Amino acid sequence: MIECRNVSKTFIQKGKQEVPVLEDVSIDVQANEFVVILGPGQSGKSTLLRIIAGLETPTTGTVTLDGEPVTGPGADRGLVFQGYMLFPWKTVLGNVEMGPKLCGLPSNEVRDLAMHYIDLVGLSGFEKHYPHQLSGGMKQRVGIARAYANKPRVMLLDEPFGQLDAQTRIFMEQETERIWQTDKRTVIFVTNNTDEALFLADRIVAIEGKLPGRVQRTYTVDLPRPRDLTSGTGFTFPARPGSFGTGNGVSPEPR
Amino acid sequence: MSQEATCNAAGSSIANETVGQVVDRGPLSLGRILTNRWFLHTVSIVAFFWLWDWLARSNVLGGGSSALARPYEVLDQLVVLAHEELAELTLWGHVWASTQRVVIGFSIAAVIAVPLGLFMALNRYVNAIVKPLFDLLKPMPPISWISISILWFGIGETSKVFIIVLGTFVPCLLNAYNGVRLVEPELYDVVRMLGGKRRDEILHVCFPASFPAIFAGLQISLSIAWTCVLAAELVSARSGLGYIIVQGMNLSQPAMVIGGMAVIAAAAWGTTLLVTALERKLCPWKRKIVGL
Repeated sequence: MIECRNVSKTFIQKGKQEVPVLEDVSIDVQANEFVVILGPGQSGKSTLLRIIAGLETPTTGTVTLDGEPVTGPGADRGLVFQGYMLFPWKTVLGNVEMGPKLCGLPSNEVRDLAMHYIDLVGLSGFEKHYPHQLSGGMKQRVGIARAYANKPRVMLLDEPFGQLDAQTRIFMEQETERIWQTDKRTVIFVTNNTDEALFLADRIVAIEGKLPGRVQRTYTVDLPRPRDLTSGTGFTFPARPGSFGTGNGVSPEPR
Repeated sequence: MSQEATCNAAGSSIANETVGQVVDRGPLSLGRILTNRWFLHTVSIVAFFWLWDWLARSNVLGGGSSALARPYEVLDQLVVLAHEELAELTLWGHVWASTQRVVIGFSIAAVIAVPLGLFMALNRYVNAIVKPLFDLLKPMPPISWISISILWFGIGETSKVFIIVLGTFVPCLLNAYNGVRLVEPELYDVVRMLGGKRRDEILHVCFPASFPAIFAGLQISLSIAWTCVLAAELVSARSGLGYIIVQGMNLSQPAMVIGGMAVIAAAAWGTTLLVTALERKLCPWKRKIVGL
């Protein structure tokens, strides 16, 4: 469904200095698969997501979506931002309606779609609220509903819960799973949190810890859903991604 | 005010995130009255007027006709001005004359400067052409134009409006310009990801995001407009609040001068309230937001 072929990205700083951010990254994502890109801060994982989104162009390599090359941003990919990035001048409803409206849908369909997805993320009754009246978790629900409302082929989430406190974060991870089960889509989810990756992923793509980011290894997570974050699933979380053992539902794929 | 509360992890309900608080008022004691905000407001204002009256009575600032007028004399003078004509106009006529100049000059400047500022921020060619001219004229105080504008336009309305336009143009333009420049760039990414074009970025992000900055500029402009109209009227006028002040000075009537000053403050405050009300109407999201 999505293919990244030998994607590299080099930023040029202050006119001259070259900073390699990604090197030779190849990822295949199947339809309706939940892929988590896991890596520490400053490992280029957000850049990779922005390249898939079309907001950045790769220095070398290609990204294709259903066989068509990605050349720029578009409504067939929904992006959820780390900093929420809601329009402060629009209500919850106005924010969620934005996508379908920009895509030129008739206004009654726009309203129906927005109400449906506001309901799906559990914000019914908050349609008339402005973003500054919402808590962090609620803001990101709006962000998710806004991306979903365009019915994108792929959902791209860039550390969506990075700014939330631990409790809200766990709750939002459960909500993400519920929303995904209700309205299945291909998801690429970027995080630096191993627990989050294990809880959500069908497959984890671990990115190496220093620039330029490379795919270190890919893991398939076979644990049954819904998974349990609080009572333990029989394995201990490894200190470093990439040091998972075998035989506990997480298995490294051959290199 | 809404609270940044954590989500309830147990249930799916999130409606309990806003927690209301009931304040227990307790018995009325002397300490509570002494620390009450409104009580302290009253004390400070009464003290101000008492000090003023005392200074006037004790002739600290000189006696005779140039003495500091007592508060009730100022009030008396304003009542007289409101009923008797000075240069064929009552007080209200003079207030209206000044307000008219402010409103006309301010409107002309806002209508030209705000779109120009937006244009400069959006188009680098417009910016490259306008910016050097603007930077050249910007540091010149608007009041320094009074003499040349009287030479050009005479002592009528045009020269006064001209000064106000010059004075208010700068903050209007600068704030509109900065408003656009300081928009969070990722908000443009949002619009593009949702299927928007360049036109949508300007329409749905640029304009609404720069509204608060534009209104801040309008507020600054308005206070500058009152400064400019007063300066212009002090130099040459047959009407307006500045004219009342000049007359008070020429007739050695401090009550008239202070009365004119007080009315200017009231008029400026009134127009500021109007702009604030307009802002609240046009950007309801801005309340309670700091630093957008």
